[in-house]
Amino acid sequence: MGVIALVLYGGAETLSIAHLRRERPIYGTAASLTLMLGFLVHFGALSIAARAIHTVPYNDLPGSMSLFAWMLAASYSILLLRHREGSTGPFLIPLVILFLAVSLLSRGQAAVAAPKLMGPIFAWHVTLAIFGYAALTLSFVLALLYLIQIRQIQRRKLGLLFSRLPALDVLSRLHRTCVGTGVLALTVASCLGLVWAKQNWGTYWDPKVLFTFLIIAVYTLTLLPRKIGWGQKRIAYLSIGGFVLLMFSYTIVNLFISPEHIFR
Amino acid sequence: MSGLLQSPLLLVGWDFRQTPVELRERLAFSPEKGREGLTRLREQGLLSEGVIVSTCNRCEVYGLAGAAMADRDPIQTLTEFIADFHGIPRPELLSPGYSGTGGDAVRHLLRVAAGLESLALGEDQILGQVREGFRLATAAGATRSVLHRLFQKAIETGKRVRFETGLSSRPISIPGVAIELAQKIYEDLAPRKFLILGAGETSSIFYDLLLARGARNIEVVNRTLGRAEALCSRGGKAFPWEAMESRLAFADIIVSATSAATPVITLEAARAAVAQRRGQPLFFLDLGIPRNVEPRIAGLDNAFLYAVDDLQEIAERNRQERQKEIAPALEILEEEREEFLTWLGALAVVPTVTSLRQKFETIREAEFDQQLAKMTQIAEGDREKIRLMAQSMVRTLLRHPTSAIKDEPDPGRRLDRAEVVRHIFDLEIKLKD
Repeated sequence: MGVIALVLYGGAETLSIAHLRRERPIYGTAASLTLMLGFLVHFGALSIAARAIHTVPYNDLPGSMSLFAWMLAASYSILLLRHREGSTGPFLIPLVILFLAVSLLSRGQAAVAAPKLMGPIFAWHVTLAIFGYAALTLSFVLALLYLIQIRQIQRRKLGLLFSRLPALDVLSRLHRTCVGTGVLALTVASCLGLVWAKQNWGTYWDPKVLFTFLIIAVYTLTLLPRKIGWGQKRIAYLSIGGFVLLMFSYTIVNLFISPEHIFR
Repeated sequence: MSGLLQSPLLLVGWDFRQTPVELRERLAFSPEKGREGLTRLREQGLLSEGVIVSTCNRCEVYGLAGAAMADRDPIQTLTEFIADFHGIPRPELLSPGYSGTGGDAVRHLLRVAAGLESLALGEDQILGQVREGFRLATAAGATRSVLHRLFQKAIETGKRVRFETGLSSRPISIPGVAIELAQKIYEDLAPRKFLILGAGETSSIFYDLLLARGARNIEVVNRTLGRAEALCSRGGKAFPWEAMESRLAFADIIVSATSAATPVITLEAARAAVAQRRGQPLFFLDLGIPRNVEPRIAGLDNAFLYAVDDLQEIAERNRQERQKEIAPALEILEEEREEFLTWLGALAVVPTVTSLRQKFETIREAEFDQQLAKMTQIAEGDREKIRLMAQSMVRTLLRHPTSAIKDEPDPGRRLDRAEVVRHIFDLEIKLKD
């Protein structure tokens, strides 16, 4: 099922690019429907995996990446349904495809999760953290699009993307919403994680905690542009920096630095 | 086409290409004049249906020739009528700027609705004007099945061309480009704050444009305060020139159109304004010649600067882009024209009557075979008599409806009747143009 979802995401990406190039509504509608279908099939794949291990499928990196890809598709779907904003699709769906493909390629035999990783606090901790990552990844794409759009306007090179991308204030507003959601989700996830860590490890300390609070601090700064007197362009750069940190925390820290967050 | 359609579709028109503005002004139809003209055309039997499309760039009359056109040159007759109606001496209006019948008239209307005949290629306004002409004619009772369908088709085609091609997608006028740029910085212009420097003609054009876009916060600064106040008569606030620098930071978009010989917005003033706005973008539109805004301002963070030359260059590029969209637009036009002409052909009397007879004969044969198959005791000779009787019944039943269509003297009504018959008997007629 994961492969079918991957193919559907691929189809949605192709149609999104076609929509960006030709702006025919039929392509946009077809892209949205294909993505939604992929999203549902992907949910089915995650549900099957969850039943096999009796918990949310995140006890290994492939499972976590698949859930992350699904959350990313969910965040984009919200953007699509709530704001009718489909121009981010061609830039965001590749990330969904990338994470799902890596997850499918590196998947081994699913093992039943250890009992301590099965309680509700742990489940909410991981689910909210991954949701936060997805929202912040979406904010990264929006920051990137902001920089593309501002560059086109400032350099007076008004190409195809100029007419297709939303206005700067819209991108900025959407970015703010995504960062706000991501920061909130990550903060709650961290608090739950700390409670769980104290119960299970007897300590709050883990290098992952440090990185997560650093990420929250960077993204919180992006929510306060008027207070710090920064323009949206600098905020976009800061947001991209935050995303680099986020990816570092999600991969390098999890795999090599944090003794407790390492996937076994 | 005219062979099928016994009452030809007519078009006579004058536009900016070959008719000087003085003559176009005399040919223009106000809504009242248009209603009166259509009524007289129908009363005199010259047209059975008619629609007038009258704009500052064109005056066109579309119609379906009436009974009184039978032995006359319809184009010449219609031209003379328009000359007499407007009190223009006939020699001055010897012939229309252009004319057409049947498929040519249809093609022209579709081109007009798509914006292909407009002075500014692909402009949007014309579609509204075609729709308005159609609305006025319908209100005057001057449209029936053919022109109703034709104008609906034209409006649909105009929308389709704009939707499916890039013919109208990018602005080609300087104000249009400026507004598009502003909307890429601030999507909704209505709540934004505007500062207009100068109160001359360009400022006035922009003031009107912004009001039309729903802008509520417009400030005007001018060296002569009275002129700024006069410009703000429909909303906004006027400030003396001395207040200019202090107002910069309060605006989201600054439109400068003064005749000053040197830049009136300096880099220092702009930098101070940008700093006060704490990261909020500031868009400068420099419409002055020579430039009103120091070019180095473009290098400031959170400041955007476009001058007349930049806008002109973008408009020209957009114009070239629109040219590329003509071919796909023409494909749509031909497709829609073909569909309309097929419908019109099917509406014509001969195919409708033929189709009606075929349908009745098919029913008769099917029923006859089915019933006779059950009556095994009837002799072969009697069967033939029954068959002839059934054929005679069908002919008798169809005699009156057929003659009601064929013998109707008014061509428009004749087509209406054919349309009714096609509808109630569900006749599918496929004809080639």
